[in-house]
Amino acid sequence: MNGYSKKNGLTVVSVMVACLIGMALFGWNISASAGEQPAGVVGLSRVETLRLGENIYRKGILPSGKPVTAIVQGDMPIDGTMFSCESCHMRSGLGSFEGGVVTTPTNGANIYKPQFTLRRLTPSEMEKIPRYLAPLYLAPPRRPAYTDETLAVALHEGVDPSGRILHPVMPRYFLDDRDMKILVYYLKALSAEPSTGVTDTTIRFATVVTDKVPPEERDAVLAPLEKYVSGRNSRAKTFETRAKYGFFAESMDLSYRRLSLSRWELQGPPETWRRQLEEYYRQEPVFAILGGITSGEWQPVHDFSEEHRIPCILPITDFPVISETAWYTLYFSKGLYQEGEAVARHLGMTIDLPPDKVVVQIFHDTREGRAFSAGFQETWQGLGRQPPLNRALRTGETITKEFLQQLTDREKPAVILLWAGPEAVAALETIAASANRPELVYLSSTLLKQSLAKLPDQARDFTYVTYPYALPQGASAQLNQDQTKVPQTATTVRIIEKMRSLSLILTDALMMMGSNYYRDRFLEVIDMMQDKPRSYTNYERLSFGPGQRYASKGCYILQLGKGLNPELIRKSDWVIH
Amino acid sequence: MSTRSLLLTVCFLATLAVLAHASIAEAADRKYTRSIESYTVPDVTLVDQNGKKIPFKSYVETDQPVVLDFIYATCTTICPVLSASFLNLQNRLGPDAPKARLISITIDPEHDTPKIMKDYLKRYRAKPGWDFLTGSRADIDRVMRAFNAYIPDKMSHYQLTLIRSPRDGKWVRIKELISSQELLEEFRQAWKK
Repeated sequence: MNGYSKKNGLTVVSVMVACLIGMALFGWNISASAGEQPAGVVGLSRVETLRLGENIYRKGILPSGKPVTAIVQGDMPIDGTMFSCESCHMRSGLGSFEGGVVTTPTNGANIYKPQFTLRRLTPSEMEKIPRYLAPLYLAPPRRPAYTDETLAVALHEGVDPSGRILHPVMPRYFLDDRDMKILVYYLKALSAEPSTGVTDTTIRFATVVTDKVPPEERDAVLAPLEKYVSGRNSRAKTFETRAKYGFFAESMDLSYRRLSLSRWELQGPPETWRRQLEEYYRQEPVFAILGGITSGEWQPVHDFSEEHRIPCILPITDFPVISETAWYTLYFSKGLYQEGEAVARHLGMTIDLPPDKVVVQIFHDTREGRAFSAGFQETWQGLGRQPPLNRALRTGETITKEFLQQLTDREKPAVILLWAGPEAVAALETIAASANRPELVYLSSTLLKQSLAKLPDQARDFTYVTYPYALPQGASAQLNQDQTKVPQTATTVRIIEKMRSLSLILTDALMMMGSNYYRDRFLEVIDMMQDKPRSYTNYERLSFGPGQRYASKGCYILQLGKGLNPELIRKSDWVIH
Repeated sequence: MSTRSLLLTVCFLATLAVLAHASIAEAADRKYTRSIESYTVPDVTLVDQNGKKIPFKSYVETDQPVVLDFIYATCTTICPVLSASFLNLQNRLGPDAPKARLISITIDPEHDTPKIMKDYLKRYRAKPGWDFLTGSRADIDRVMRAFNAYIPDKMSHYQLTLIRSPRDGKWVRIKELISSQELLEEFRQAWKK
């Protein structure tokens, strides 16, 4: 913690002495001097030591399999099942800041070096500063470098090498000698070397574009990104000059790097993409992947990113990988899945559909259809509901009058989820005229595109539509004419807007990362960002947090007013509870 | 003044002095600042970790003592300690734990769904009586404002524990992280008949 409380110096010294005596009595073996990397400890191989150390640090689990135990706030017992070192000091070990509370870095590179108030200057830099400032730069460290022994004292007793008492929220750990050595070994290896893809002058990025993406959409991704990179690099000279002559520690000037952006174009079937990605990466190891676009699946890129631990920030895809544990890809949203999820929440929480009512999902057995239906079904069942009746249409099968009449006569559904494109318009006419008309029908604006405004008037009272973006601005919030007439342009505009969001987030992230060029840190600083409201994005809000990997969490449920240019009537909150 | 009146006056002043001394001693022992507040609890509907709708006002204005905090599931630093303090309060109350109503309100309603909140409580081994509530952003904002705890973004979060006494409906407001023993004592004060 950054905040320290002063305590009686004698007490502190006594505690330290007692600890050192205790450690000597219990056989604490000072195995390495400051900064050294021992080759494994307590008879374990390096790999095994790191694995066990990572378990302590990240999962709060001791090598024995039991949770780590500790005391916080003076008298509060906690254990590793609640939170671990990683919860506050983050995966990179570089700490966090939240609500004015700063958690300091705990990786070896930081704690095994003294901490000065001001950066140490080189002799030539010292010559340039006014003489009266020299004492400030020559002052002794405010915290000497940790050693293995003083680190153990800090972890056990909460006292740092300068004798200051660490903030009471920093746990005082019950770790035995062996476990302490394993954890210390891990901390020394944690974020020890900057990640691949960063040189003294440049941070290398790539963007992934798959074939079959329409050219205008591909341009909508590449042009803004490349313009961003060239624009930033055109200002590099100013920053580099400032960095060269500046002497303030850890300023953004010192961390300034030019950016490079490569196009990684993937051709052919998705099962070959992984091989192509590996080859690109072998030729040019990048720090992270920015944006990118696919017209189909994203899974191979996701897996590549996850396995190589390469951050992949905000690609354009309707098919993000839905996972609660994946770490390295940050998506704009859950894509089509999220629209299904929103319907389940609306139907379950807002409408509160009685449990005996029948819900039918009609969808094409395609990637799109499966994403919508999975989003609905998984969320619906998560609300404790019975699975819906699923009618997956085979290739070539269409939604005919007969199909719908048979379905409504036989199943008498109270709710139909019609995951279909323009064909939904005719289907809705049939449903509206049906003797066994369902009480509610749900459609997706993403699938309907320009057909949204063509939904039959007689069906609008019982039809709800998912809308995963911020509503168009304006007095009457009417359907955007551009979207109805020129869908391709609307899609392109949305992509450009998303790349603008990415650029704004990237600017913040690069500044917040400073010179900590670690991939985990890059993701962490994004996790610590404030929410981005709609002035930053075409979503209602983008929000972040440790492990949160879908920045837009919402989707409106709308109804349409009457007429050719209908009013969009909001029937739900952005996030439905 | 009669001897009797004089005696009564002396007794009264002595009692006052003892009470004042006790109060000063108590305040001197306390290592944190607290204040007594009155809040108008908004009449909103929130959702708990089981997906159940909770009429917030009646849920809070109960004859049980209430301890309330603002947290979010992926928070670093502050919330883990606040939540550990809730668990420890439940543990220290032992069989009386269900008599305390512990309420954690999310300040990240976009992310914190009932499932996520349920997993969070499970991770902290919460006992019955500790609920985690979410809701629409507008309703969560209303609740934060009602308790003079509004923040525009979860990253501006600060620690706050509020304890409501069913005796008079007043709230103790503690804007610091306190020890388990201190929270227990505050809770017992609020519970006193």
